[in-house]
Amino acid sequence: MSEKKNKWFSLKLSNKKKVPQDTGSCGCGKKSGGCGSHASTEVAKPVDGFDQVMGATMDRRNAFKQLTASLLVGAGAISTSCSVTSDDAAKEKAQIDWEEQFKGNYKLMSDDEKKATVDRLVRSHQIRTQDTLDMSSKTAEEGVLFGYAFNISKCQGYMDCVSACVTENNQDRNSQMEYIRIHEMKDGQGINFGEADDNYYHEVPAEGHFYVGTQCFHCDNPPCVEVCPVQATWKEPDGIVVVDYDWCVGCRYCMAACPYDGRRFNWSKPEVPKEEINKNQHYLGNRLRKKGVMEKCTFCIQRSRDGKNPACVEACPTGARVFGNLLDPNSTIRWVLENKKVFRLKEDLGTEPKFWYYMD
Amino acid sequence: MGILTTNFTVFLNRIKDANRRKKTMKIRKSIHKDYLKNVSKFVGVVLVVLSIFSCKHHEEEYHKVTDKIKELSKDYHGTSITSNKFLEEMNLMEISEGGHTFLIPERKSQIKSYACTECHTDDLNKIKGKDAKKGHWNITLKHANEETMNCLTCHNGDAMDDLKSLTGKKIDFNNSYNLCSQCHTKQFEDWKGGAHGKKIASWAPPRASMTCVNCHNPHSPSFESRWPAKYNTQKIQERK
Repeated sequence: MSEKKNKWFSLKLSNKKKVPQDTGSCGCGKKSGGCGSHASTEVAKPVDGFDQVMGATMDRRNAFKQLTASLLVGAGAISTSCSVTSDDAAKEKAQIDWEEQFKGNYKLMSDDEKKATVDRLVRSHQIRTQDTLDMSSKTAEEGVLFGYAFNISKCQGYMDCVSACVTENNQDRNSQMEYIRIHEMKDGQGINFGEADDNYYHEVPAEGHFYVGTQCFHCDNPPCVEVCPVQATWKEPDGIVVVDYDWCVGCRYCMAACPYDGRRFNWSKPEVPKEEINKNQHYLGNRLRKKGVMEKCTFCIQRSRDGKNPACVEACPTGARVFGNLLDPNSTIRWVLENKKVFRLKEDLGTEPKFWYYMD
Repeated sequence: MGILTTNFTVFLNRIKDANRRKKTMKIRKSIHKDYLKNVSKFVGVVLVVLSIFSCKHHEEEYHKVTDKIKELSKDYHGTSITSNKFLEEMNLMEISEGGHTFLIPERKSQIKSYACTECHTDDLNKIKGKDAKKGHWNITLKHANEETMNCLTCHNGDAMDDLKSLTGKKIDFNNSYNLCSQCHTKQFEDWKGGAHGKKIASWAPPRASMTCVNCHNPHSPSFESRWPAKYNTQKIQERK
């Protein structure tokens, strides 16, 4: 257990320091090796959220509750890991599953813990599919606050952005999930989402129409974050609102709280054809999701934190999309904000979206 | 007499009672005062504590994101993220226009048949006439109308390897944006600032932007209508 100060959320009510867990006992009863649940000694084991759960002092009732839940997972893991018949890969996978089950909230992890969980996920994917991934846990850069601008007079409704987004972010192909919506609006009726068509299929741009794109606006005062009962979604220091897919319980409060229809829910198990999987992934971004969790646009966190433009910006053939660092006074996004007539949707709600619209 | 005494004692008792009552009232009042004082103190403290802890924006002192941007960018020192690794392979050139310095793709190396004089050795003043045979058979000019533009509005018949401005000044193919900006002044302003056109690869500095001819075909600059890249059949099902 870490000697560091308790994190603010800690359940540890007593000040007793627990002894690190190399007592060596596990489900298999052996003192070392063999069963796969023993951590190898040469690798310094990062302190993970495991301790957030296991180190907590609690009353008997709560303890039993937690035990029942974990027993179900544990039973599966141990039966595989101690089995003589199952192979090493299966045992390792069981070990990974076990550790993943007890990891903490990503937001509260140290950089080492983040790296450890990413490594586990990559390894787990490798065992399952014999395919390698490149997953990152890159943190926010200081002096960066991401912002976005959308030129209404330039968008022609080609939907190249939507297509690029789906491919980049490994969105579910079965339910045809899309983060971006392009709304076709009639000239002279203003921005009227009630009358707009966001699923047109005819030659574009259509006569007498204009196009407005929406997606997650990465509000600076995000209502979705406020309502999450388990703090599985939060605003990163660089302004990106993210979801920890492994911490989300799927209650969809955030979906209801979002005034912009920015969030999507996985009603079924997301499927992406193996050859179409984008292997450049980020834990908080486009890694493969599971059934029953929320997801949404992350400004392509796997790209933007690396310096690249999001996939939609890159795909747009008309240059209607501008992306950049709001804190850099010389950035193009700042020029747009300072020199064009910009507005945001539902500004009166006080959500402070970091997504501006402008016209030529 | 007896009655008188009794009356007197009763009277005395009443006075005593009244005094006692007065005293108790006094004490009561003072207690109440103290109580009020304490309560108001307590309420005051509670209010102060509430005002400290109940503010929704407890983590940030900004109420508007624009305030935040203004404040935080005051001492902006740049970041470690740059666009260099994405631009390495590209043939870019730096330009400075109206206080903006940025990179644009070099053009001449991208034109298939440059330099023009490799073929065009004749005097080209002939093509000014309407009857003249069209050179570059696949090029049709769909840019403004015939009264406004023809080939020689931009191309120089006497010096094929360069473009020319409306007043006949030489414009290099690499800086063709100077040609476009003669008419499209607003677009030029927006492009310099970054509101028009696309940036290349990265949001980080140094900035690299596409130039006019990277998106617009100068002979037919407007975008063509076409079918959308996607059609969501599932959405139709869900909304039935």
